[in-house]
Amino acid sequence: MFPEPFRDRLATRVDEFIQLTLNGLTLGSVYALIALGYSLVYGILKLLNFAHGDVFMVGTFIGFGTLQLLGGSADPVVPVWLLLVLITLAAMAGCAVLGVAIERFAYRPLRDAPRIAPLISALGVSFFIAYSMQLMFGAALKNYDTFSLDGGALYFNGFDVGNVRVPLIRIITIVSAFVMMILLWLLVTRTRIGKAMRATSHDREAAAMMGIDIDRVIVFAFVLGSALAGAAGVLFALRVPTYATIGFLIGLKGFTAAVIGGIGSIPGALAGGLVLGFAEAYTQGYVSTRWSDLFVFVILILFLLFRPQGLLGKADIRKV
Amino acid sequence: MRRRGGIAIALTAMVAAALASTAGAGSSAAAKTQAVGCKSTLKVALVTPLTGGAGFLGNDQLSWAKYAVKTLAPKYGLKISLITGDTPVEQGPAPAQTLAQKYVADKTVVAVIGPATSGAVAASSQVYRDAGLAHISPSATRTSLTKGPALEGTSAFFRVVPGDYIQGPTDANFMIKKGAKNVVVIDFQEPYSQGLANAAENVLDKKGVTTTRLSIANTVTDFSSFVTKVPSSADFVFFPTQKPGDAQNFAQQLVEQGKKAKVFGGDGSNDSTQFKVPGSFVSNFAPDITAIAYNKSLIAGWQKDNPGKAVGSFGPPTYLAVQVALNAIKRACDVGKGSIKERADVVRNVKRIFVKNSILGGDFRFSTKSNDPLNAKFYIFEIQSNGSYKLVG
Repeated sequence: MFPEPFRDRLATRVDEFIQLTLNGLTLGSVYALIALGYSLVYGILKLLNFAHGDVFMVGTFIGFGTLQLLGGSADPVVPVWLLLVLITLAAMAGCAVLGVAIERFAYRPLRDAPRIAPLISALGVSFFIAYSMQLMFGAALKNYDTFSLDGGALYFNGFDVGNVRVPLIRIITIVSAFVMMILLWLLVTRTRIGKAMRATSHDREAAAMMGIDIDRVIVFAFVLGSALAGAAGVLFALRVPTYATIGFLIGLKGFTAAVIGGIGSIPGALAGGLVLGFAEAYTQGYVSTRWSDLFVFVILILFLLFRPQGLLGKADIRKV
Repeated sequence: MRRRGGIAIALTAMVAAALASTAGAGSSAAAKTQAVGCKSTLKVALVTPLTGGAGFLGNDQLSWAKYAVKTLAPKYGLKISLITGDTPVEQGPAPAQTLAQKYVADKTVVAVIGPATSGAVAASSQVYRDAGLAHISPSATRTSLTKGPALEGTSAFFRVVPGDYIQGPTDANFMIKKGAKNVVVIDFQEPYSQGLANAAENVLDKKGVTTTRLSIANTVTDFSSFVTKVPSSADFVFFPTQKPGDAQNFAQQLVEQGKKAKVFGGDGSNDSTQFKVPGSFVSNFAPDITAIAYNKSLIAGWQKDNPGKAVGSFGPPTYLAVQVALNAIKRACDVGKGSIKERADVVRNVKRIFVKNSILGGDFRFSTKSNDPLNAKFYIFEIQSNGSYKLVG
C-alpha cells in the first residue's frame, strides 16, 4: 500500500517514539519517587525541603559505597539480584537516618519561626551536604558500572517492543519505583500511622488535640520521604553516573514534578513525575536537544501561573 | 529601627566591597611594575577545576604541579609556593575572572599554570596580560586561544599542548580512515566541546561524511533520549566531553539501545579508570608517557607521593607547564640580577624555553608563529576488552 522507503521511515519513527516513551517512563518513575519526598514533607509541615535532592545524591553514594563493599560490579560476592536489593536497602536506611537528622537539627528548631527561616535553612543544608560529600569523596563521577554485572546481563536481557529492546535494567527501575509507590499509597491509606499523617496534614493543631504525636508523625514523614529518595538514587545511578552536586538539578526536577502533580498529593507526585519524564524525553527527541531543560522549567512556570494546585492537588481556598 | 540598621550595614558592606575592588585594581597596576626579590618565596598559581564534574582533571593536574614544584624549584634555586584556584566548569567563566583579579593584585604571584579550560582562559587572559602575568595552560585546547581572527588568548598566554585545530582534524581523519560514512557530532554547550566539535565536523563535512549535530546541556546526566536520536546507520559518535564518566555512560546507553556506533571521545575523556567500553576511542595530546624510558624515575617519584594513583592524561602536561614556568622565572631572575623587575620579564622568557626530553616525549619548544608547542600532535587510543588503552593512531 505504501512505498517501501515510506514504510521504513514510518517504522523508524515508531521505534523512536517507543524508545522515547521508555526513556520518559524510566526518568519519570525516578522523578516521581523524588517528588513523593517533597510531597510528604510539604503535606505535613508546609515546608519545601530543598535538601531533598541532596538526600537523593547521598543515596546514590551509599549505593556506590555498598556496591564496592560487596566486591564491585566486576566481581560481586553475592548474586546480582541480592546485590541490587542490598544496595537499595542500604541507601534507603542511610537516607532515612540522614532525613531524621536534617529534621532534628535544621527544621525542628525553626518549626515556629517565620516560613522563610526553614526555607533558608533547607538551602543551607543542601549546600552543606553537597560540598561535604565532595570534600570527603572527591569530585569525580561515581559509576556503578552495572555494564560489568554478570557480563552485561542487565543491558542485553529483557524483551522487545517492536524493534526496541526493553532491557532488564530499565524494567528493574520502572517496576521497583511503581512497587514502592503502591506500598506507600497502602501505608498512607490503610495503616494507623498513615491515618495520623493524613490528619496532621489536614490540621496539625486539631490532630495534636486528638492525641496524635505530631513529632513522631513528622519524623516518620522524613523517614519515608528520605528512604524513597535513597531508593530513587540507587535506581537512577544504576544507569547514570553520579557526583556530589547532582542533587541540586535532580532535586529541582523532583520538586517540579511535585508541583505539576499537586504538591502534597501522592498520586499527584506520580502523575507529575511521569509528565515531567515524558516532557523531557519528547522534548529532547522531537523539539530540541539544546533546550530540553528550559522546556521543563517553562512547564513549571505555566503550572504555577495557570494551575498552581497542580494536576491532582486541591486549590487552597481561603475565607476572608 | 533594627531594619534600618540592617540596611545601613548592608550598604556599608556594599560600599566597602566596591572600595576593596577599586583598591585591588590599583594594587594590580602597582604589582605589574614592582620588583620582587628572587630569594624570597615566589608564588605560582594553578587555576583549574578542582571541584565539579571536571574535578578529576584538576586534581590530576594538582598532584603533578605539586610534584613539579617540589622537585624542580630547588634545581632552579627558587623558593616557590604553589597556590590553587578552583574553576568548576559548571560555574562558567566567573570564577576564572575573580581569580585573575586576585592573582594580578598579588605581586608575589609571578606565573599562572592554567587556566585549565578554554572558557576560563578566554575569560581571564586579558586581565593577566594587562598585569604582565604569564599564564601557561596544560590543557586548554580551543583553537581561537592562539590562532585566528577572533583571538581569545593574549600574548601572555601559552599552552604546552596542541590546539583543537590539530585534535579535531586528527580525530576526524582517523574516523574516515576507519570507514566512517555517518557520524553524530555532539557538543555540550560550552567552549571546549563546541570548538572541538566544530573542528572535527568541518573536516568530516568537507570529506563527504554525513554528519548530524546534537547539542546537549552540560548538566544532562541521562543521555537516553540523545542516544535515541543517533541513527542506526551511524558509525561513530564524536563525544568531546570533559567528563569521562559521561562518555562511559553514553557508550553504555548506545549498547543498551542496540546502536552500533562507537564513541570517540576527545582528550577530555581520556581516563582509563572511568571510560572503558571496549571498541571506543579517545584522543590525547601525549602518547603513553609511561612507555617512555627516560620518564621512569620521574613517574616513580610521582607515584611515591601519590600511592595507588594511576598516571592520568592531564597531569604530565601540567608538570611540563610548571617546568616551563620555573625555567622562565629563573631566566627572569638571572636577567634582573636576583630580582624580577616586572612580571612581564617572565612572559618575555617563556617563549625562549627549550626542554630537552620533555615528559610528553621528545624535546619541547614553542612555535615561532604562535604560543603553541612546535610540532605537537594528537594520538589516538582504542579501548581494549580489558579496559586498557592501545595506541592506534
